[in-house]
Amino acid sequence: MKHTASIISRYTADISGVCSALYELGGMTVMHDAGGYGSLYATHDEPRWYDQDSLIFVSGLTETQAILGDDQKFLEDTIQAAQRLKPRFIALTGSPIPMVIGTDFPALALEVAQATDIPTFGFNTDGMHPYTTGIDQALTAIATRFCTEALPKTPNLTVNLLGVTPLDFSVNGTVSALTESLAAHGITVHSNWAMYNDLDALKKASQAHVNLVVTTGGLGVAKLLQQRFKMPYVVGMPYGPALMAQAVTAIQTADQTGVNQSILNCTKGADTYFIGETVTTMSLATAYQQATGQGSRVICPVDAQSGLLTENELTAHDEDDIRDCLKTATTIVADPLYQPICPASARFVPLPHEAFSGRIYHDTMPNLVTDFAPFLQSLV
Amino acid sequence: MLKIAVYGKGGIGKSTTVSNMAAAMADKGLQVMQIGCDPKADSTILLRGNEKLTTILDLVRTKQDQFTLDEMVRLGYKNIVCAEAGGPTPGLGCAGRGIIAALTKLAEKGAYEKYQPDVVLYDVLGDVVCGGFTMPMRPGYADYVVVVTSGENMSIYAAANIATAVQQFQNRNYAKFAGLVLNRRNVKDETAKVQQLADDIESKIIGSIDRSDLIQSAEELGKTVVEAFPEAPLTQQYRNTGRSNCDQL
Ligand SMILES: Nc1ncnc2c1ncn2[C@@H]1O[C@H](COP(=O)(O)OP(=O)(O)OP(=O)(O)O)[C@@H](O)[C@H]1O
Ligand SMILES: [Mg+2]
Repeated sequence: MKHTASIISRYTADISGVCSALYELGGMTVMHDAGGYGSLYATHDEPRWYDQDSLIFVSGLTETQAILGDDQKFLEDTIQAAQRLKPRFIALTGSPIPMVIGTDFPALALEVAQATDIPTFGFNTDGMHPYTTGIDQALTAIATRFCTEALPKTPNLTVNLLGVTPLDFSVNGTVSALTESLAAHGITVHSNWAMYNDLDALKKASQAHVNLVVTTGGLGVAKLLQQRFKMPYVVGMPYGPALMAQAVTAIQTADQTGVNQSILNCTKGADTYFIGETVTTMSLATAYQQATGQGSRVICPVDAQSGLLTENELTAHDEDDIRDCLKTATTIVADPLYQPICPASARFVPLPHEAFSGRIYHDTMPNLVTDFAPFLQSLV
Repeated sequence: MLKIAVYGKGGIGKSTTVSNMAAAMADKGLQVMQIGCDPKADSTILLRGNEKLTTILDLVRTKQDQFTLDEMVRLGYKNIVCAEAGGPTPGLGCAGRGIIAALTKLAEKGAYEKYQPDVVLYDVLGDVVCGGFTMPMRPGYADYVVVVTSGENMSIYAAANIATAVQQFQNRNYAKFAGLVLNRRNVKDETAKVQQLADDIESKIIGSIDRSDLIQSAEELGKTVVEAFPEAPLTQQYRNTGRSNCDQL
């Protein structure tokens, strides 16, 4: 059946992507929804919810407001809260109900900005697109608005990490390990889009030499910063020492030549399948191939025309299609919630992914930057 | 690129006026695009002879996203790019949301880039009844709204409502109100009544079309008056209206 998942989970939606990407930046995010989406986000998608404050609101859209097209309460509540809390920016996000009645978020954002004098973004999210598109929209909006000046470059080699959220990297130290590992190779992370950094750090992105795109959610910003400041970017998430060494070379090359680089280089192999977000999963398959010499197949269910896919990758996202793809697999690396549709004969290597299974396996998410060797061990 | 959304009471003559204006503009060498935003999907009928045109929502219905820009449009009289949004199954779904989906698809598939129109005309159904029908006046779509009206009270009432809606949306950066086109029904004191409306809403009459049987004669030939009777005074009125749409804006 098309667009139906009766056994496996679904990746979280664009609204969560927006909220997650903006969580640490000192803004205020309002989900225009009856209420259900807020708890979904807080409970399943946001591991920082209980430990770190962020101004996230749900509008409490009612049936009457929806039928009458009454945007006024949403506007007034948002404006009032913003005037009291003075966030650095405001983000309005949509859910399925506003989408159905055609709510014009960019227009509402204009009204809020006029009333509050605070930069406001209106995202036409609808809960029907994958989280990666939400991350991309949110980060691109931040860069469009706040990275307008070509600042002098840092003296040492620096990168911005683009597309970083707990939805792909959890909060298990993966991102810090990546930063440390780059530093050990003489490359400083200048800004992180968007974990462990505030808006001020992001505003200075044009000081860095190169952008490192670690998920497709960072691609839009990379392209924008390239267009504005001629900053080259490198695509790939350096899992394991060998791929890290390649990433370092790629970053240096990009810096010297100004030409974009990619460290994704996995070729087609019959038996081993990886499922997940495009950049991280292709990176994993590349690291696997470097270590074993074996090709693999990568299934990218949330790829939204990233332009990164080769003939090795499959874009299946419906349960039935994914199941068909996996028929001949002997080893499958995926979130544990995929296991029920995997052939019993295949070896299943669990790789929990926050954006797919939420908090269920939160405590066992591996840090593949530091623990790549044991992970590889479990694979071969 | 000049983009105009044409509104007005049901049956007042929007599609007839828009099609004739489109033909008049195309005669002057402009690349014109006409988009019917009405589930009836009869906006561009006089421009494309007997060429069949599948509506955008019918394409979405049968092919999801697996269709091309070429399937969504037909080139009609003097290469006018014709498209019809279409609508949901009658009695079901949501026509307004359908307009949003159709216009979004057209933009997504690159219609404006490919055809590089000088003028885009959106022929929009009746009143601004719900969010979907303001889509053509949202940023990225029309820059100006024109309302077709006669001197009949119901038509004037509808025109005033639309003008108010446009006014209310000014702080959202929606299209601006450009003026009224008087499509005559020959009611008593017609010009004065419509001029009064124009004054009330602080706007102007930018075109005036006589009531004429020539329209029906042209319709029988499946053509606009501009194409079928290029020398007729009525054609000149459409040319003038088209010009004041282009010039005065
Ligand atoms: N100036 C005119 N003189 C005579 N007949 C006219 C004139 N303008 C329009 N008509 C006739 O009025 C009828 C309705 O016109 P048209 O379909 O253009 O209206 P509309 O506003 O597009 O209607 P709808 O709201 O249903 O889309 C048509 O049969 C048309 O021939
Ligand atoms: Mg019509």
